[in-house]
Amino acid sequence: MLDTIREIETPEGVSLRLRAAGAFGRAQAWLIDFLLRAAFFFIGIAVCSVFGRGGMGLGLLLLFVITWAYSVVCEVWFGGQTLGKRSMKLRVVCADGTPVTLIPSVVRNLLRVVDGLPVLYGAGLVCTMIDPSARRIGDIVAGTVVVHADDLPAGSKVPVVPSHILPVPLDPDEQAALIDFAERAGQLTVQRQEELADILVPLTGREGTAAVNQLTAYANGLLGRP
Amino acid sequence: MKQEQFVALHAEEWDSLRFWLAQLDRQPKAALRSEKTVDFPESYRRVCHHLSLAQARGYSREVIERLQQIVEMGHRQLYRPPAPRWYKAATFLVADFPRLVRENWRYMLAATVLLYVPAIVTYVLLQWRPELAHSLFSTQQLSQFEKMYDPSNPKIGRSSGTDLQMFGFYIMNNVSIAFRTFASGLLLGIGAIYVLTANGIIMGGVAGHLNAMGYGAPFWRFVVGHSGFELTAIVIAGGAGLRLGLSLLAPGRLRRETALRDAAWKGARLALGAFAMLIAAAFIEAYWSSISLLPDVVKYGSGAAIWLFVVLWLTCGGRGHHHAA
Repeated sequence: MLDTIREIETPEGVSLRLRAAGAFGRAQAWLIDFLLRAAFFFIGIAVCSVFGRGGMGLGLLLLFVITWAYSVVCEVWFGGQTLGKRSMKLRVVCADGTPVTLIPSVVRNLLRVVDGLPVLYGAGLVCTMIDPSARRIGDIVAGTVVVHADDLPAGSKVPVVPSHILPVPLDPDEQAALIDFAERAGQLTVQRQEELADILVPLTGREGTAAVNQLTAYANGLLGRP
Repeated sequence: MKQEQFVALHAEEWDSLRFWLAQLDRQPKAALRSEKTVDFPESYRRVCHHLSLAQARGYSREVIERLQQIVEMGHRQLYRPPAPRWYKAATFLVADFPRLVRENWRYMLAATVLLYVPAIVTYVLLQWRPELAHSLFSTQQLSQFEKMYDPSNPKIGRSSGTDLQMFGFYIMNNVSIAFRTFASGLLLGIGAIYVLTANGIIMGGVAGHLNAMGYGAPFWRFVVGHSGFELTAIVIAGGAGLRLGLSLLAPGRLRRETALRDAAWKGARLALGAFAMLIAAAFIEAYWSSISLLPDVVKYGSGAAIWLFVVLWLTCGGRGHHHAA
């Protein structure tokens, strides 16, 4: 399968579509997290140094928290998103699309040790390229997947024009293709619209702009508009 | 039914559900107070039904995408796992964790052997030929150890540093070692075996060297307090790592992925337990072990009591309760 969509059947019997996020976006999110953590650490160290040598202990505790606990806390309590993932509009979810829980989150974050081998997430990168859902080793073992969290723009509406009834009956997928064309035509150049519409000369009996308009009218008819 | 009629009939419900779900993400408290909360499961299932109808009837992408978004948002809320609770953490420490350790006793035994046998061998070897210490450690490291456990040092076990500083250091260092031991077990167990054996040799080497040169007393007085928690935690993390590696090599009757997931989920719980143990160990090590003025009987007595507690906790904790782990 070429696309990265995982279909998951919910208990209601409908399929949920998870759009798995690829290595590049995730690397960017990691980099943002890394910079934020580094900045936070240096500010923390500066504050702790006020307390003298004991402050170094606090600094080490801080380092511990941002190394090991940061990702887990963000993922479990803030909807599967670290700050970097939030800014890249990514989210960690369980393989069944439900929010990630503590144990899977701990597993995927501890296994960063293995994904990070030999340097800079080399193993993780290879794994995301091989896996169809772009999971790294930690994700596979934990049973999680990183998905895009931004909403897809729902397609635009078919322009309202007086409808025409189709001269011949069409199959359901042919009807769907026709409506899809009418919905998406606005995103295409006029030349491309006409090029596509000209394929259906046998149906419309017209060419160019007239064909596009005719198809839009048929689509209106299929949608049940007057 | 034609698409336009279908949308006209239901659009209001879709929009109100979507609005409520979006509100739930932003201001959960206000959203939960609204009346829509009671209707949510029913309303969500109706929208799921609308989605399957729309797909079956071949309605256009615009409608299907719109419904799919609502279903995705609703699924995330309806099947949300329960929030973690404090009492669960307590039951975990008191009962579930010891039970999990016992359940994996074979791996724990293997990890114990991998840690202690190299340690004892190195220790005995250094009593017999003390000069071998120089092949294990650099001269600089040896002088560091000697300074740390010098009987005239008022704070044993460290060359400098305050209690708080050492506490931070112990947490960062020891917990990182435990976590890495577990995670590197995924490399067919080799990582866990390496960390356990290497730590065993270092431990035995330090103990052997100090004992051979007559600094044994401060060393044992220092380690007896926290070793109960610390060494056992490393053994547990190592055992969890071994199981992770073995589940990849010999998954038994399960598929590799399933066996691995099972081992990892249980291993993560073991690692969390080891983490709790290491916090206790770091407290003891930073604030109790380093006091050199206490008499031997208090030092060794408390150390023995802690070892006894750890052994009793892990062997008896969670026995006699029959609720699900």
